[in-house]
Amino acid sequence: MKPFNWQEELDRDGHRLVFSGQTFAMHCHHYNINLQKMLEEALGEAGVALLYDAAEKASFHNFEYLFARYDQIKTLKSKLEMVAIMYQNCGLGILHFRQIGPDGGILSSPASHHVTGWLAKHGRRETAGCHFSRGWIGGVMSALFGKPTGYYDVRESSCKMKRDRECVFEIGVR
Amino acid sequence: MAIDGNKIIHAVMEGSRIREAKGIIPLFGVYLSILSTIYYNRINFEFEKRMCDLGQEEKARALLVAAAQECGYATFQGIRNSWEWDEIVVPMLESREDQIHGFTAVAVAFGWGDLHVVELVPEEKLVIRVNDSYEARGYIREYGYSTAGKCYMLRGVTGAFMDLIYGGEYPDGCFSFLAEERRCRAKEDGYCEFIARKSPHKSIL
Repeated sequence: MKPFNWQEELDRDGHRLVFSGQTFAMHCHHYNINLQKMLEEALGEAGVALLYDAAEKASFHNFEYLFARYDQIKTLKSKLEMVAIMYQNCGLGILHFRQIGPDGGILSSPASHHVTGWLAKHGRRETAGCHFSRGWIGGVMSALFGKPTGYYDVRESSCKMKRDRECVFEIGVR
Repeated sequence: MAIDGNKIIHAVMEGSRIREAKGIIPLFGVYLSILSTIYYNRINFEFEKRMCDLGQEEKARALLVAAAQECGYATFQGIRNSWEWDEIVVPMLESREDQIHGFTAVAVAFGWGDLHVVELVPEEKLVIRVNDSYEARGYIREYGYSTAGKCYMLRGVTGAFMDLIYGGEYPDGCFSFLAEERRCRAKEDGYCEFIARKSPHKSIL
């Protein structure tokens, strides 16, 4: 069985940065957090929804491709392990899956790029703010269970941006 | 000594494979993420579309450029104060202007496109050309050709490069320069070209 090796997948095609043949880019917390703040301030809830949607579509596209490419990775447990490796190695943080199935589930995150970035730039928030992670997880779920994007609804019941102990994401079907 | 872009790309690729136990990539004084360009393009172009529906298209473009310029200003300030910059880039610098070539090489390493400096007039003007920007490519793929430039991130970053070198003391120099995108592949030009000049207003909005 060919294991998922993210170090081999992250490569260059000339000036392009590619992950498993798909075009990626490196950006830092300044840009990612600026975009989030811009969307929230300019469009309010519609901006939050747009951020969620962009992350969901991107992760769905990535994982639909990766699950097909690594079709020898068959069990849910192995696929979730691959997802967590990808999240960690893209510098996005740590994910702990608790109960995951076709109808949803729950997972927690003790650390993330967006939490670290938000707290470094703006300090504590009054509301949960991991919209990127919610969307990213939603896209992963759709790719895992063969559903279209928008099928799952990911909510954040506690958030480190509010200084909760960890971020907790609850996944349900819309 | 000229700036060796390959050396910088190699350092970024090696550094990006190192992350701490929390899954964070601390490199060049910032926290890096590695994400699909689908994400960034969708945010930029759908934001522009929704603001356009509200009659605020120009404001959307200004906000997108400003978000990138503020980021570029803070990011590259962090980068040039990092130990990696001291170790890898500083030995190659012969003039103040060389820093811009160093910044450009880092941007290429980050996967933003094949940036190269076409013209640099100290204190006045910077021209950067990009044949393959992920923003223009992504726009064409999703929406077809446009009548206006679409590389908001690279526009902001070009201004930020000049702000850092000629804008005065950090952190007061942001928006001292503003960049235009006269040519863009998204509007069927052969390449994207960004021209940064001194701004009389020190503001983009």
